[in-house]
Amino acid sequence: MRRLEHIGLLALPGLTFLAVIFALPLLMLLLKSFQIDGQFSLEEYRLFFSDDYNMSVLWRTLRVAALTTLLALLIAYPTAIAMSRANGIWLSIFLVAMVLPMSVGVVVKAFAWSIIFRTRGVLNDMLMSLGVIDAPIRMLFTETALIIGAANVFLPFMVLPIYAVLRQMDSRLPEAAASLGAAPVFRFFNVTLPLSLPGVVAGCAFVFSLAVSMYVIPSLIVGERQQTLSMLTARSFLYLRNEALGATISSILLIIAISVVLGSSWLANRLGARQ
Amino acid sequence: MQSSAGTEPDKRAYLDVVGVGKAFKGTSVMSDMDFRVARGELVSLLGPSGCGKTTLLRIIAGLTSADAGDILLDGRAITRVPAHRRNISVVFQSYALFPHLTVAENVAFGLRARSVPKSEIAPKVNEALQLVRMRDFADRPVSALSGGQQQRVAVARALVVDPVLLLLDEPFSALDRKLRETMQVELKSLLRDRDMTAIFVTHDQEEAMGVSDRIAVMNAGKIEQFATPSELYARPKSAFVMDFVGLSTRLRGQVQKTDGSVMQIETANGLVLAKGALGVGSDVTVGVRPELISPGAGENTISVTLADAMVLGAKTQLHGMSHTDDRLLCEVPGIQTALTRGQDVTFGWSVKDTLVYEAHR
Repeated sequence: MRRLEHIGLLALPGLTFLAVIFALPLLMLLLKSFQIDGQFSLEEYRLFFSDDYNMSVLWRTLRVAALTTLLALLIAYPTAIAMSRANGIWLSIFLVAMVLPMSVGVVVKAFAWSIIFRTRGVLNDMLMSLGVIDAPIRMLFTETALIIGAANVFLPFMVLPIYAVLRQMDSRLPEAAASLGAAPVFRFFNVTLPLSLPGVVAGCAFVFSLAVSMYVIPSLIVGERQQTLSMLTARSFLYLRNEALGATISSILLIIAISVVLGSSWLANRLGARQ
Repeated sequence: MQSSAGTEPDKRAYLDVVGVGKAFKGTSVMSDMDFRVARGELVSLLGPSGCGKTTLLRIIAGLTSADAGDILLDGRAITRVPAHRRNISVVFQSYALFPHLTVAENVAFGLRARSVPKSEIAPKVNEALQLVRMRDFADRPVSALSGGQQQRVAVARALVVDPVLLLLDEPFSALDRKLRETMQVELKSLLRDRDMTAIFVTHDQEEAMGVSDRIAVMNAGKIEQFATPSELYARPKSAFVMDFVGLSTRLRGQVQKTDGSVMQIETANGLVLAKGALGVGSDVTVGVRPELISPGAGENTISVTLADAMVLGAKTQLHGMSHTDDRLLCEVPGIQTALTRGQDVTFGWSVKDTLVYEAHR
């Protein structure tokens, strides 16, 4: 017991810092969204949810986040398997390839994507010179471009948790499965995949949380045409000077984030309980 | 004792490993390995770690590919057959039970992988769990089991698919000594009842002698001797086998004189006579099993100062002092309390019990 108390003391500076810098303003924001002229009210939420434009932004945000997560997962899983089997120089190359891009600012990466996707950009030029298309197609400012760009930026957050779980997995398990007559596909779906699910859940929670609240990437890739919740929040505070609306949208984003965290930890626990 | 030497012509080999070679990153772990097992035989691969025994087991299972040679099972070449089509079950040292499945689901795994109809799986799983006395644990997660229970589940999971061959990699090493002996007896009779052909990999000579009909003693990627436990113990083919299987008194010496079939060997503890015909001047290792030595004089007699007399219950071990890597060991039945450290005694034994090997330089 005494030792626990001492450990609690060590956490005090961090807890204080978070409480003052993070939790307090968040609480004030939350309170603001439930107030009109100093009175408790759900009016701001009613207004937000009854507005078709706001609803379309909400659905777009959730859809983009979900598809970004899915795309990142599809790319990350095979990568994580390759990494979990790599050793020595190859493993180093993989890890550097995963971690190094994180040190490049997200603005730089988003700009790089806009260079590739724009009308006379790299991708259009390439497709035209290959004769796949006759005229440049619009790629920038589309949801597809946003999903591809976001999945690229968030990829390491999906790969690393899955890699960590696969790396820990006893390599004898797939071998035992093989010796019991399981072909590679059966092995994957009955041993490797179920055992890696905690990593998949963690990766999806990371990427979904990041994608649902991303601001810089959609600002640079799709611009004002297709707003997301974060962009709407920024606009409410900065241009519309509608603090109540901004606080309301922020709170909705917060609720989504908390649901994802709680949901994923519940899922991880359920999956973990059997192991 | 039944004779089952590998060279016996009337016994058709069931598993036939022919000229198998394997190298990892340019370092050869075995070359030209030949190894034959008859149907229904329980065989051990015994050797120190790094001798290639696990590699040989993995090559037979199809988990590691051989660089050269062939593997035949019941006359059919399986060298290029992938592991999941060999129908060879493996029990791993760590058991490798699937942590996300229950006991019953673990046992059912191989049947599901073989697309056995659902209605047939449940009774087979039940029967297999009954066999290893684990039926009451069917719905438990495997993480809730003790080491011995996990081993039983691993055995049930391996046997339920009716494998043509069972391979066991150090299956008892994770168990404590008492449980290990119980499990050895249990597993051996289980395999006998089912007429299963099985290969154990182990570094524990007692375990190998307990569970197998024949033991292949391996060293540095070679089989030094492949024989019954009693043959290995009584007539080890090399000093390595003598050292690895059982204890022995072991002396370094040099042949001084040969007289027909008897050699006179000079050792640090005096002259020793042994049968054999090595040339005069040859460096040799002389060995004697400790229970064949008795205190007092014999055809061969050496003087020894006792370093310790260890009372082990049914027998007392007398250890002589040695300043070289010679080992002086004698076992006397019963409890001997009269002998103590520092006492001068003599060890005596007969010439016919003296093992002698040319020393490698």
